[in-house]
Amino acid sequence: MDALQQLALILNGVTSTITVSIVSFFIGIFVGLPLSFLRVYGTKSAQILIDAFEKFFRGVPELVLLLMFYFGVGLYFPFPFKNVFFTANFVLGLRSAANQSQIFRGAIRGIGDEQMMAAMSLGLSKVKSVLYVMLPQVIIYSTPGLGSEYALLIKDSSYAYLIGVVDIMAYAVWIRKATMDTFTPYVISAFLYILLTFPIATFLDRWGSRKKKQLGLERR
Amino acid sequence: MTEIVMECKNLWKIYKDIVAVRDVSLQIREGEIKLIFGPSGSGKSTLLRCLAMLTTPTKGDVFLRGECLTKPGVDLNKARARIGFVFQHIYLFHHLTALGNVELALRHVLKLPKDEARKRAMSALEEVKMEKWANYYPAQLSGGQQQRVGIARALARNPDIILLDEPTSALDPELTGEVIDTLRDLAKKGTTMLIVSHEMPFAQEVADEMIFFDEGTIVETGTPEHFFTNPSTERAKKFMMRLIKRTRRE
Amino acid sequence: MEFLLRYLWDILQGFIVTVEVTLFGAFAGLALGTLLALGDLYGGRVVSILIGAYTEFFRGSPIIVQLFFFYFSIPSLLETTFDAFAVGLVVFALNSAAYQKGYIKGAIAVISEDQMMAALSLGLSKIKAIFYVILPQALRLVIPAWSNEFCSLTKSTAALLVIGVKDLTSVGLRISSWHFRYVETFLVVAIIYLAWVTVVTKIADEVYERVKIPGIEISA
Repeated sequence: MDALQQLALILNGVTSTITVSIVSFFIGIFVGLPLSFLRVYGTKSAQILIDAFEKFFRGVPELVLLLMFYFGVGLYFPFPFKNVFFTANFVLGLRSAANQSQIFRGAIRGIGDEQMMAAMSLGLSKVKSVLYVMLPQVIIYSTPGLGSEYALLIKDSSYAYLIGVVDIMAYAVWIRKATMDTFTPYVISAFLYILLTFPIATFLDRWGSRKKKQLGLERR
Repeated sequence: MTEIVMECKNLWKIYKDIVAVRDVSLQIREGEIKLIFGPSGSGKSTLLRCLAMLTTPTKGDVFLRGECLTKPGVDLNKARARIGFVFQHIYLFHHLTALGNVELALRHVLKLPKDEARKRAMSALEEVKMEKWANYYPAQLSGGQQQRVGIARALARNPDIILLDEPTSALDPELTGEVIDTLRDLAKKGTTMLIVSHEMPFAQEVADEMIFFDEGTIVETGTPEHFFTNPSTERAKKFMMRLIKRTRRE
Repeated sequence: MEFLLRYLWDILQGFIVTVEVTLFGAFAGLALGTLLALGDLYGGRVVSILIGAYTEFFRGSPIIVQLFFFYFSIPSLLETTFDAFAVGLVVFALNSAAYQKGYIKGAIAVISEDQMMAALSLGLSKIKAIFYVILPQALRLVIPAWSNEFCSLTKSTAALLVIGVKDLTSVGLRISSWHFRYVETFLVVAIIYLAWVTVVTKIADEVYERVKIPGIEISA
């Protein structure tokens, strides 16, 4: 098999890699965003729970979590944990939520209590202040960090091949085993991963940093 | 005598080990302008924030047109909607244009339809002579312009009273003039205001009453005349001397 | 969970492998990362481009690809074989260096603006200025970032199992597959990882508190 044929084959895995990364990314936003606001404005007990959640998902290797949920929890709850896509998104999504909660919390701190107070001074309720004043700024402020998080997910989605997701990594390993070519499949996959991470992460970083500067969101 | 708009009785604010506001009582009537002045760190900002219920007083009561705001169960958002607040460091919303800043409360607090909110926001910007800058973001405006937008934001919803916390002290000296002019216009229109400020010529011109504030409490009150000619307490006398000297130097 | 007591020795062996790889990777990565940062800043255009490509490979591709690349691809080109554990040490050092380069470069940039000029004004050469003035400050400044990097490095060492190194995760997988007790085993494994990361980051925090220079900080 020549390099082009290999490339054509490995390209079949791109969909899985992207799907797992994007779904996890959005799970991360939809879970992480509320968590970050709860962590800052919520009750003491909510804060402790969120800290524990973050500590666990940020401190334990993704691979350990994947194996634990797929093989372990899947033993007792075959549905849905024996579905490799579900478990991959579940683990990477919650890990990303823990990361993103921290990114957003940094943004809330960076933007500062003053914005919240100014919103309240107009008579906006706490929820509306968060919605109309904090949230748009938090998202702009976090964009560069979200770029890195996206890149991290693309790379970490490769762990999912170990529980059976047929992604770029899975095809590369399969080609190596079938052809005994130990070089080309890995070069191609490395190249594809870099192609998937670099442009988008760089774009988000540049756009976010520029926007932050334009709006004067960076506190001096 | 006109109606009392805002009033506080025996107000205290105590942080862990600091008494920021100590047993303060005061009244502001319709159309009145009162000016609070005193050394920095004396609790003036905290008092203002208590009156606007942006921070909860430890003891004592705040009334807005006779309605007690400090008893449990009061809808504070509704109350704040009727109190305008201008911050020393302005705090415009970075992600919104000047117009967007002024519109926000009209849309989401007063729930006006879009066109009407826009019309009223524009007329508020006209009042502070910022209508030409409506579509600029805060970061594109000078400090003085930002503060004028801050004032427009506070007055757009026709609040019962506007509280202003040192509106010019964070600005470069050459930018204070335009903000003072704006405040003077508001004064002429009979806006009820409680202002923390050390702009003495301005105070002399517009204030109905001046309040000298030190160590968390009211030390002396009187007309501008009274303070400029013969304050009765030693502390006020010394502070006035310093202020007048500083004003001359500028 | 008593069954795990029987495997205490195996678990300890696995843990020691993880400790060795993480410590080596984090410290060798610091040394190499410092060199890369200096090369990037002061080495001229060509060096800077080469270092950029190096960084992009190690930060843009998954750790699994990198392990496969060094375990399968490179030895096959050289018609030899490499020891898996040695590959682990090298890959994690090279990988961590790519990340640490970024932090160190940032720290040097913060320090060097005025300090370099001041040092040159005394008649110090550029190299001496770097060694006596810039680096002592920059390396102190970089400790908190190093501590974060240590966390993500430790998590990614779980990938060692793909080339057959018997690290903590791989020992955990073997034990649990014999007994079908994945949840318990991986929970214990997870706790060991958390404990290890916590101990090292606590020490790093302590060191930072002792050596930090009053008034100079990088906001995270």
